[in-house]
Amino acid sequence: MSKSYFDETHCAIGHPKSTFMQWMLTVDHKRIGLMYAAVMFTFFFIAVSTALLMRFELFAPGQQFIDGDTFNQAFTLHGVIMIFLFIVPGIPAVFGNIVMPLMIGAKDVSFPRLNWFTFWLYIFGSAIAIASLFTDAGFADTGWTFYAPYSLNTGTNVIFTLVAAFVLGMASILTGLNFLVTIHRLRAPGMTFFKMPLFVWGIYATAWIQLLATPVVGITLILAIMEKYFGIGIFDPSKGGDPVLFEHLFWIYSHPAVYLMILPAFGIMSEIIPVFSRREIFGYRTIALSSASIAGIGYLVWGHHLYTSGMADIAKTVFSLLTFFVAIPTGIKFYDWIATMYKGKIILSTPMLWAMGTIITFAIGGLTGVTIAMIGVDIHLQDTYYTVAHFHYAMLGGVVFLFFAGMHYWFPLVTGKMYDESKAKIAFYMQFVGFNLLWFPMFIAGFLGMPRRYFDYLPEFQIYHQFSFFGALLFIAGLVFMFWVFYKGWTKGEKVGPNPWHATTLEWHMPTSPPPLENHSKVPYVDFDPYEYHHGEPVVKFDYETMRRID
Amino acid sequence: MIDYKSERVMYYKVLVGLLLLTAVTFVLPYLFEAGANLPAQMFIAVIKAWLILMFYMHLKGEKLISVMGIFSLAIVLVFFIIVLVVDVANFQFKDESHITAPQHTTTGVTENVAAPVKH
Amino acid sequence: MAHEYIPEISTDRDGNEHVVQGWQDDFYGGKLGFWLFMFTEVLMFGAMFLVLTYYNMLHPADFVTASASLNRFLGGTNTVILLVSALTMGLSLLKMRAGDVKGAKLMIWATIILALMFLSIKAVEWTAEYNHGVFLGLDALQSGNAHSKPFGEILFFGMYFTMTGIHGFHIIIGIGLMVWLLKRINAGKVSPEHHILHWNIALYWDIVHLIWVFVFPYFYMIGAASGGTGGH
Repeated sequence: MSKSYFDETHCAIGHPKSTFMQWMLTVDHKRIGLMYAAVMFTFFFIAVSTALLMRFELFAPGQQFIDGDTFNQAFTLHGVIMIFLFIVPGIPAVFGNIVMPLMIGAKDVSFPRLNWFTFWLYIFGSAIAIASLFTDAGFADTGWTFYAPYSLNTGTNVIFTLVAAFVLGMASILTGLNFLVTIHRLRAPGMTFFKMPLFVWGIYATAWIQLLATPVVGITLILAIMEKYFGIGIFDPSKGGDPVLFEHLFWIYSHPAVYLMILPAFGIMSEIIPVFSRREIFGYRTIALSSASIAGIGYLVWGHHLYTSGMADIAKTVFSLLTFFVAIPTGIKFYDWIATMYKGKIILSTPMLWAMGTIITFAIGGLTGVTIAMIGVDIHLQDTYYTVAHFHYAMLGGVVFLFFAGMHYWFPLVTGKMYDESKAKIAFYMQFVGFNLLWFPMFIAGFLGMPRRYFDYLPEFQIYHQFSFFGALLFIAGLVFMFWVFYKGWTKGEKVGPNPWHATTLEWHMPTSPPPLENHSKVPYVDFDPYEYHHGEPVVKFDYETMRRID
Repeated sequence: MIDYKSERVMYYKVLVGLLLLTAVTFVLPYLFEAGANLPAQMFIAVIKAWLILMFYMHLKGEKLISVMGIFSLAIVLVFFIIVLVVDVANFQFKDESHITAPQHTTTGVTENVAAPVKH
Repeated sequence: MAHEYIPEISTDRDGNEHVVQGWQDDFYGGKLGFWLFMFTEVLMFGAMFLVLTYYNMLHPADFVTASASLNRFLGGTNTVILLVSALTMGLSLLKMRAGDVKGAKLMIWATIILALMFLSIKAVEWTAEYNHGVFLGLDALQSGNAHSKPFGEILFFGMYFTMTGIHGFHIIIGIGLMVWLLKRINAGKVSPEHHILHWNIALYWDIVHLIWVFVFPYFYMIGAASGGTGGH
């Protein structure tokens, strides 16, 4: 039996005997990706529990289980974990690590030791964030945005969270840097930029955002820390500082950051749709370039978070105009995906179900985003449940759904085994129904005036909160069930070969399943497009020993 | 392997250029009004930066890295234009805002304006 | 990973062979990665300059007054010191590439000494300012008391100490990197044939210099005409 990456590894320091230390010190991109996934989903479930706690509290008006201050800390914890610990590192750290080097035919990323260091930097940052839960002052209660001047005045432990966000930002920068160099340097011979799989394009565009937007928020957090410790005055109105400037700097990063989350997710979509339609992707170049242009335009639209903050009117108008432009490349992608499915031989496996579900939920999330890009509408809907529902449709219904799609799609690659398809489909339907039941009522409640981040509400909003509550229960049940299906699949699943989905990209052309330590037995020469199908069958075939084409 | 003697000439030439430009920055404030001084200073700084980038950092001939660098600088420039030219330059609340009209609002500051500036 | 790296060969359908770029021994990749890192520095200081310019636009007169009180003599000396240190670092890399390891090490030592001089002068400058009551946390830079400076000056000094402080922090990191580089040279890990680490640390030192090229005129020179050179 041949050895897989579970059996042997390269280490950053020495060659320890124990399996545990081999995992801790591993520089193998696949193992690092798996460890990211393990840590990230642990945090994900902590944040989901916090959200459920808030749903319990909001089941009826008035105080039920927690008081207002705890509620503030709960939504801050939920936001900080979901944003900084889960969704921002998210897909790049997990699938960017595991799959991207395989897709371009590389043996590893460009700087494997830096990759290892980055993982531990991420753990360090997460530890700081969690540590503030156990300090006397308690977790921050500012919301994940740390808006000045409240974040400067509050008695809770904001410093820890700021430092944590800074460290996690550094980890994010280094991941992006590593991937950029990898994609530029380590593509297999013959693979030009327009022969790369679209997921790699997504990772490439994302890496640029990680690299060039994160330093801005990093320094903003440093300035906020300096402000809190030394009173430099930059964001403190009592010394002439301008809190609006904090919002500018914060959203200069944090708006591109939402494209940083969604672009690799779109990449996963672009992988899944052609494979399960058994058809070459429609408009390869437009999808690739729309990723790049979303990343580019994404830098110019942050001001739509500041419509009610006291920005100049002309600036609001400019930002509103620019924001609409983001919808164009996103729309192009959607049309391309649907055109790919047209006349395709569609196979409704679980990854495809998730992808198609996402087309619905993300379309709702995206279009409601266009409505609040309009200044007048936004004045009414700013900081209401409408906004909350919008970004959960886009983030949970877009990014996380596609993350799950990717997990189903690449599960046989990573583990060499298959989960129970029919149970996985049940889990999908539970989550899809639960998700819509959870978030859709919030659009209505928000439109009628239910403000976000409130711990109490008027009785007339009760019905919406109760719908949401039952939706949340169904969603979480589906979530737990899905992970149980994964667990069963990994322990008892049926062994499948290297390419169970009949996919075409290089990560499915492995000599063994799961992949061996240094990936492909030989680096292939790439003289083909990533998604070549003929009559529903993959065109390109390899001899997995020599990696030469035999079709 | 490179020839040390012939290469180091360039380093000294650039050093002389940078020193001369630094000397110029000390003269500029006396040539320009306060408003024009800052742009003039930044202009000299850009020339110095260009010298350092091209010769000390060997950017000459690095096409890919140069393009990436220009892209990064363009993004910074866009931030400047949007925040400063589009937003702050059109700040609508100059007369009412606490942060732009301090002398009417805080007593401590009013006293200080009258006090002699220490050197 | 210590063994000699032999690049792999991939063969296309016509039997032509293509050399595969591995992650080992990738000089250009190392350089590209470090340049990308430097772009993050540019963005970071870019954001701080944005803050500085933002308040400069709101309080132009205060900024000139505050700048006039800085010590241009010491600031200028520091500028020249950094300039010369960029030269010595460049020459050390040049010597390394030319095969003169011993000369390269000497030049790195010269750079370290210049960096320490820079930090000492900075310390003298900050101490003088502290003794004049201008420092983070002192009354003059707080609001609402008898010594409070106007908003524009508070913000100017806030950014002055933050930015020169963060720049100074980069100098300290740079010294650490150079000491580490010397150790690696002594251990034979950095050699004329394999000098990517030396190359990147030289680049780092240049970006630290480059940042000072902008920090110096913005803080010290905008009020030069009304302040002389003495400062605090």
